[in-house]
Amino acid sequence: MEEIIEKLKSQIIEALNLEDLQPEDIDPDKPLFGAEGLGLDSIDALELILILERDYGIKLSKPGEGKEVFSSVRTMAEYIIAHKK
Amino acid sequence: MARKKVYIVADGMVTSLGAGTWTNVEAVRAGKTGVALHSGLVEDETGNDLPVMCGLVGDFKGDIDGMTRTESLAVAAVSEAAGKVSRHDGAAERRKALIFSSTKGNIGILDAAPENTAALPEEVFLDCSAKRIGRHFGYHPEDVFTVSNACISGVSSIVVAKRMIEYGRYDEVTVVGVDTISRFIASGFASFRSLSASLCRPYDASRDGLNLGEAAAAVILSDCADGASAPVVVSGGSVSDDANHISGPSRTGDGLYFAMRDAMEDAGVTAEDISFVNLHGTATVYNDEMESKAVGLAGLSDKPVQSLKPYIGHTLGASGVVETVFCIRQLLLGEVWGTPGFASLGVPVPLSVSSMTRQVRMRHCIKTASGFGGCNAAIVLSLPEYARDMEEKPLPGFRKLKDVKMCGAGDFHSFIREKYKALGLNDMKFYKMDDMSKLGYIASHLLLDGLSFSPEDMAVILQNRSASLDSDLKHLRNITEGPGASPAVFVYTLPNVASGEISIRHKIKGDNTFFISSSYDKEGMEEYARMVLASSKAKYCIVGWLEYLGGEYDADFELIEKI
Repeated sequence: MEEIIEKLKSQIIEALNLEDLQPEDIDPDKPLFGAEGLGLDSIDALELILILERDYGIKLSKPGEGKEVFSSVRTMAEYIIAHKK
Repeated sequence: MARKKVYIVADGMVTSLGAGTWTNVEAVRAGKTGVALHSGLVEDETGNDLPVMCGLVGDFKGDIDGMTRTESLAVAAVSEAAGKVSRHDGAAERRKALIFSSTKGNIGILDAAPENTAALPEEVFLDCSAKRIGRHFGYHPEDVFTVSNACISGVSSIVVAKRMIEYGRYDEVTVVGVDTISRFIASGFASFRSLSASLCRPYDASRDGLNLGEAAAAVILSDCADGASAPVVVSGGSVSDDANHISGPSRTGDGLYFAMRDAMEDAGVTAEDISFVNLHGTATVYNDEMESKAVGLAGLSDKPVQSLKPYIGHTLGASGVVETVFCIRQLLLGEVWGTPGFASLGVPVPLSVSSMTRQVRMRHCIKTASGFGGCNAAIVLSLPEYARDMEEKPLPGFRKLKDVKMCGAGDFHSFIREKYKALGLNDMKFYKMDDMSKLGYIASHLLLDGLSFSPEDMAVILQNRSASLDSDLKHLRNITEGPGASPAVFVYTLPNVASGEISIRHKIKGDNTFFISSSYDKEGMEEYARMVLASSKAKYCIVGWLEYLGGEYDADFELIEKI
């Protein structure tokens, strides 16, 4: 779990071009979207879907599922563990 | 004094339904679609071809020596239009201009991104295509303009043309819109998850995305109706921005509503006078939702509404011109064509949509468009007998309040980060912007520092040479060498997204128009800004040059105030 969390942080920083951010700046339990977290938006959500598809071979079954899956880095990691083939 | 009336005197088009306006009108009236499955445009992550539903111009035979297919299509549309106007006396002295409207021009000719931007072929620059088309028809290069304003480019160009004639800059302006579909465009839209696997269904509860299409279309705008067989008046026009998000449509629809309201005001008509509304209607969930709200705010919920995207797909920079021509034909025929595939309403505010043709008593119609960067545009088209006589709004004077210049080459990232830190801003979004947007963002902060204004007080009129080529090359590398299309990169492959970023940051909801030219036409842009200040609610305008390509950057902004 922790390993996936660390890997995800770097992948998010890279995919979203968050140049000035270090992996340790991201709290795995804080929300990714909205003002109190990383402030991600709908384009970023598409990038997160791409990380799941490209790097983990996981396709979200329903578009609406994203909201829960992407609520924090930890929920993403949990989803990956549960769905990885 | 009465304002000059601006007529559309002729038109032409090539779409997936065939060549010629009448061929297209007949096909649409017969319920045909040019949209079909095509391969070779999008690949999945393992490199397998994913066929895409889109409207391609299959058997075009009008290729011209020394021109690309995209340019040849544009020439075909202009030739058709020009052939329909009988010349009148004194034609030689008439001042004529050409406006080229395109989102991506010849980008499809690039198979791979060159190492060095100096190795880019000249025809990937939009201004080069525009000048080639202009030369073919004998226009002086100075009378050829390019507008690249995402999916509103076509309607936006008609607004520009209308103003240029109203304010006496030209007597006749031909607007030609063209876009062709390549891997570049299709893979980007696929990464946005906005393509439907079936025929698109605007406003329907089951809609799930758009179909792309390619087309070229032309309209000739003139200060007189002489020589036209069935002229229609462009009586109103307006452009606005949502100032909400660079790709997500506004949650309230207020930006599009402002454009519709101001276009009706410009035409001197009210919602009651409108016979039908031709919307953008891409059939993505959020676009159609937003449009329903705007139509409601404009008081047009009970008027016949349509989207024509299911017939030819979303033809991007051509769509505003193609659909304007279709609006003219419907006004003249007295019928509102159906929106195929529509069965049950799936938008939050009621709209009067039908899959069937409706017979309507015609006076005026509204045509709208909305696009990335948060931009919206609307025009009112009127049958000549109903077009109102309006008071002339003279061009205002202006004074320059401030200017900001930044140019150089080399380590752009250190430079721009220092500027950002020096401003003491804390905005996560800055780091996600492409380099041109970062440059525009910093320049606009320096320019607007200390000025307070309300959203509709400000307009943004920008120009550059390379459109968004720097981001285009990144997207091209992603799809040819890299991991595949990235939505966060693809969204920046339109120059006006940089003005959208400026508008979001400073809550600017006035006109946003992006021109392309080989060098900064400062006087021309200032003149156009004055036309915007005269004909919209804006009191201020950011006018400038915003260029970024391969590490070389150049921002030359000024803030002007109407006096």
